[in-house]
Amino acid sequence: MIELKKISKSFGRHRVLQDISLSVKTGEVVVILGPSGSGKTTLLRCVNYLEKPASGEIAVGDFKMDCAQAKRGDILRLRRKTAMVFQQYNLFRHKTALENVMEALLVVKKMPAAEARSRSVALLEKVGLGGKLDEYPSRLSGGQQQRVGIARALALEPEVILFDEPTSALDPELVGEVLEVIRDIAREGITMIVVTHEMGFARDVANRVVFMDGGVVVEEGTPDDVFQHPKEERTKQFLRRITPEANWVI
Amino acid sequence: MGAPFEIGYVFSFLPKLLETLGVTLLIVAGSLLTGIVAGFLVALPRMYKIPVLRTLSGLYLSFFRGTPILIQLFLFYYGLPELLKPLGFDLSRAPVLFFVILAYGLHTGAYAAEMIRASVEAVDRGQVEAAYASGMTSYQAFSRIVLPQALAIAVPVFSNLVIALLKDTSLAFTLGVMEMTGKAQTLGTLTQHFFETYIALALIYLVISFTLEKVLLAAEYRLKRHEVREEKVGRSFKLRRKGSYRAVLADIDAGKGGRL
Repeated sequence: MIELKKISKSFGRHRVLQDISLSVKTGEVVVILGPSGSGKTTLLRCVNYLEKPASGEIAVGDFKMDCAQAKRGDILRLRRKTAMVFQQYNLFRHKTALENVMEALLVVKKMPAAEARSRSVALLEKVGLGGKLDEYPSRLSGGQQQRVGIARALALEPEVILFDEPTSALDPELVGEVLEVIRDIAREGITMIVVTHEMGFARDVANRVVFMDGGVVVEEGTPDDVFQHPKEERTKQFLRRITPEANWVI
Repeated sequence: MGAPFEIGYVFSFLPKLLETLGVTLLIVAGSLLTGIVAGFLVALPRMYKIPVLRTLSGLYLSFFRGTPILIQLFLFYYGLPELLKPLGFDLSRAPVLFFVILAYGLHTGAYAAEMIRASVEAVDRGQVEAAYASGMTSYQAFSRIVLPQALAIAVPVFSNLVIALLKDTSLAFTLGVMEMTGKAQTLGTLTQHFFETYIALALIYLVISFTLEKVLLAAEYRLKRHEVREEKVGRSFKLRRKGSYRAVLADIDAGKGGRL
């Protein structure tokens, strides 16, 4: 279970996050929506401390930390309970697909090489890349790279996987294969927080949708609530802009 | 203008010059080692933007890149003992090679520092984030993710640096060091066959430079074997069949609509 309490963050004078609280139950898939600049990616990056929150509290599983006085060891522990899938994939370019997945198992989890290898191979097969184990990222398509990224996150067996716009950098025809993989692992009950612009996907997969704007949570609820019966004017406006069919739904 | 040209002298000078190759290579190796250590020390405050040290690094770079190496040699040789005398260090008996290696080392350090900084900064920041996100410490992220890629990026610059250093060591004779150029001068004066000695000398420098270049090029390809495009460039002059569109397309990134 993930619990964020009163997370605040500013870039210079601009307050990106204003006392945001969010709790995610184990096995839950939470999708964060919002216009660009709403702070959704920043919030996600605060969960594993790629952005340092100015204040607030983060709890993941049995581990809890106060952001105002975070120590290096706390940050490391927090990061070892989470995993992230990036918009730009961020694969290690000098390592093959298999090595990318194995890397943290060997270095962070100190797993024996044979065990790390067999787990990594299994995961790559699961995301449909059993035939690309020894390819370098430069020889993989965007969709394939992102699937390696997902396998890399899964390998760590984190309490939660954070998805930061996982399909935004992909060519349209490659979006489907990546969403399919994310959908599959969502069904397995892995806890996920997803920042995305894929409305159809959010509707299908999310247990809960959080709509953010201007650094605050404007509205949250089941996909049905938020998409079909949004209460807040800002949510309605956003949905009208982003999903044309929402015009006649509302 | 000395004795008339005789090609035979070129060949007879070669082995005599090669006797002093060791001294030249010693200067190169010693300076490289000093230079890389100095380079790291100078690059770190600039990469991590440490206030005062960063300014000092900047001064260091300006001095060693902004003054001729010959003058740096003289400054070290004549100046250092004077500077250190009041501090209780007596360098008057230190071997000349010590000053030579120190001067070349610190000179190389300036270029090495910029090479290190540029190479580390060229590694994509996102990969470091990915390393952190998967729980690596900053040391692990640096040594496992950044360093191997930075090395590959640094090789071409390093190659230039080594070759420039090799050629620069020819100035060490001005302080009386008997390295290859010093030896050549002595041989020339002795036999009056100046042209032949310098042909022989040039040949030796050329062969060493060429070898170094090829070895480092091979190292670069090996370190960059994960990049599709670099490999292509390497073989292109053999394999490319005319300017076929297929070959051109194959070089375009998959993400930009090229070959998948």
